[in-house]
Amino acid sequence: MPKPATSTNAIPLETSIPAAPLEAILCTDELHRRPSRPPDYEKENQALVKLVSALADSPGTILQSLAETILDITQCDSAGLSLLTRDGKTPDVCGERFYWPAIAGMWNPHVGGGTPRNFGPCGDVLDQNRTLLFRHFERRYPYLMPVIPAAEECLLVPFYVAGEAVGTIWAITHSDRRKFDAEDDRVMASLGKFASSAYQALMHIEGLKFQVAEREKAEAEVRELASGLEAKIRRLVEANVVGIVMWNLEGAITEANDAFLRMVQYDRKDLASGRVRWMDLTPAEWRDRDEKALADLKATGIFQPFEKEYFRKDGSRVPVLLGGTFFEGSGNEGVAFVLDLTEQKRAERALRRSEAFLAESQHLSQIGSFSWRPAIDEITWSEQLYRIYELEIGAPVTLELIRTRVHPEDVSLIEKMIDQAGDGGHGFEWQYRLLMPDRSIKYMHAVAHSIRDQDGQLEYIAAVQDVTARRLTEEARDKARSELAHVARVMSLGALTASIAHEVNQPLSGIITNASTCLRMLDANPPNVDGARETTQRTIRDGHRAADVITRLRALFSRKEAPIEPVDLSDATREVIELTRNDLQRNLVAVRTELADDLPLVMGDRIQLQQVIMNLIRNASDAMRDIEDRPRQLTITTERDESDLVQLTVQDSGTGFEPESMNNLFESFYTTKSDGMGMGLSVSRSIIEHHNGRLWANLNDGVGATFSFSIPGAASVAGAAGPNEIAVKDQKHATRSV
Amino acid sequence: MVNGPLISVVDDDESVRESLPDLLKEFGFSARAFSSAEEFLASNHLNQTRCLILDVAMPGLSGPDLQRELKHRRREIPIVFITAQRDENVRPRLLAQGAVECLFKPFSDSDLLAALNNALRRT
Repeated sequence: MPKPATSTNAIPLETSIPAAPLEAILCTDELHRRPSRPPDYEKENQALVKLVSALADSPGTILQSLAETILDITQCDSAGLSLLTRDGKTPDVCGERFYWPAIAGMWNPHVGGGTPRNFGPCGDVLDQNRTLLFRHFERRYPYLMPVIPAAEECLLVPFYVAGEAVGTIWAITHSDRRKFDAEDDRVMASLGKFASSAYQALMHIEGLKFQVAEREKAEAEVRELASGLEAKIRRLVEANVVGIVMWNLEGAITEANDAFLRMVQYDRKDLASGRVRWMDLTPAEWRDRDEKALADLKATGIFQPFEKEYFRKDGSRVPVLLGGTFFEGSGNEGVAFVLDLTEQKRAERALRRSEAFLAESQHLSQIGSFSWRPAIDEITWSEQLYRIYELEIGAPVTLELIRTRVHPEDVSLIEKMIDQAGDGGHGFEWQYRLLMPDRSIKYMHAVAHSIRDQDGQLEYIAAVQDVTARRLTEEARDKARSELAHVARVMSLGALTASIAHEVNQPLSGIITNASTCLRMLDANPPNVDGARETTQRTIRDGHRAADVITRLRALFSRKEAPIEPVDLSDATREVIELTRNDLQRNLVAVRTELADDLPLVMGDRIQLQQVIMNLIRNASDAMRDIEDRPRQLTITTERDESDLVQLTVQDSGTGFEPESMNNLFESFYTTKSDGMGMGLSVSRSIIEHHNGRLWANLNDGVGATFSFSIPGAASVAGAAGPNEIAVKDQKHATRSV
Repeated sequence: MVNGPLISVVDDDESVRESLPDLLKEFGFSARAFSSAEEFLASNHLNQTRCLILDVAMPGLSGPDLQRELKHRRREIPIVFITAQRDENVRPRLLAQGAVECLFKPFSDSDLLAALNNALRRT
């Protein structure tokens, strides 16, 4: 039915609320009470013939022809069709709306509009399932009120397809110049039947149209696909990224792209001559593989890619990956792609070689490696790591498995590392122990760093070294060093004790002998008082002598009484000579001294300097211990050298030292003595360098060696309070080499 | 008082040379002191000396050197060694080489007297 002329086809719900009951607008009963016009069968037949012709010639306009025929035959003012629809533009019996595909007469401008199924005269007709005559139906359907011209009467006839109502035909008068009657009812019923046929024809035509359209669409897609595929294949062939060949089962290659020809070193002339045959290109040992591919081809139409080799023109071989298929509908010819694997094979060989090198290196260096992806807990070990852990190579590695080998005391350490590692990317270095099944312990040193793989996942790469041998060596060395230090202490203490005992025992011996003599003299009859007095005086003298020895020893060995002070090196040397006199005499060493009287004072630690002097004298004495064929001569000299430094020289006639060991003499634990500790010269050099001086050694022209040191005079460091301050002003001396 | 057998003392330590002869005289011996082995060898008391109290370590010829020299001269005088160096290895070695005794300084007068009596019994 027509919609309001001023709005769209949609009918607002609020305007669809019925205002008057259906009975109030129906006057169907009047149709047969009114005087009826006579039937005009001729006109009716002409119209129907015309409609049938139109249905055959132009089915697309048949509905509009039907509307015009209704207008013509009933002499009404507007006529048309309403069809159920879903989408508002195509017929559908399940639709919830009506649409108007054709209108003739005064309401023709409303073609294409529509109304809801349940709010209009068409819906009421379908519900009543009969022809209805309405008068001023806008009284029930307010949305029709604004429609101009308004309908006076409307004759509505339902029509059916396969027993199902699909729509209505209608005729409207807009004035009372004529009223519908029984003849109109009969004609409309007749036209309703035609409408049903037209509807079916139309639906059939629409169905055909749809099928044609679908087929055309499908054909177009196939054509597009085919043209696209062809273009792609052509691009693939011409791009020469892979080799492509056309072949037949007789062994010929009928066509090939440049990539393939380059691969096998043939050219287009060779190809045209028919010399390039796949059978001939295949080495004998690959023929069986070809046979299998041919069998697959015959069975399935394709052969899956496989690796083989071809002969090049020069007789060398090229490794390739080959896959192919028959042409569609052909049982003899086909196409194949050929991929040159030369680089890949070379890379594989290089990789295998590299992996072999790595494995050998790991084996030689006792270094294993592993990777760990915390997110998925995937751990991969190198073979060497399996060997270190003494686990079967290839066994699945889990944290639980690792824990079975880690020393119980180090398990918490490992767990802590794992926790930290799982939190994010870090570099790690750690040491831990393994407790092997035989209860032996292995020491491990591991270094790990994190990377992100191509998926952005955290991965740790780690190197693990078995440092057991090194660790045991270090422990042995530390133990030896500790024992050595202990021996040195004990020996030093023993030597010190012996030295003190010797120095003290001499005067003690005099004291006791004098005292014994004194007693005997006093016990004599008469007592020898004069003798007793003399021996007592000697006792007192020897007591003082013993006290002097103790004082000297205390000064020598007590650090507390050793401030930085001006030191006369000649005096300090005399004191040391006095202390070592007995030792030297025992060793039959003749001492000659040339100690300068006008030597500048030096600023320093007197006791430390005396320790150095004593050490040099004792070394010289020791170096001459086994000398029997010449005098054991020791010459000690102090002097001011040409650079105004104070120099002390200790020259001996001993065994000397090997010239090549010159640089090692001052290192700790280096010694030329069979029973020496090698500490004296090292400590001595440190002391002298602390005094901004230097200590050095020379071999004599004749026999023996000379050890010397020189240190700056106090005058050149006026105002300095100690050796550290001296260092600033006399650095050139401190840096002179030994 | 000084008519007893001659005991010669050889020691580079002055206090020994001064104190020991007086004690020996108190024991009833005659006594002479020398500061070195060379001095003793050069003296004219070699033949009169009935016992030698000899320091082990001395500049020049040591005590053992003097012992060897006397053997070489076939002038074997009983020797009591004295030393301030308390080296337990020294004593058995010296005794093995013929010394009567080896006393560590300081020693008691009774030990010295016992050693001297031993020495004089050998002659």
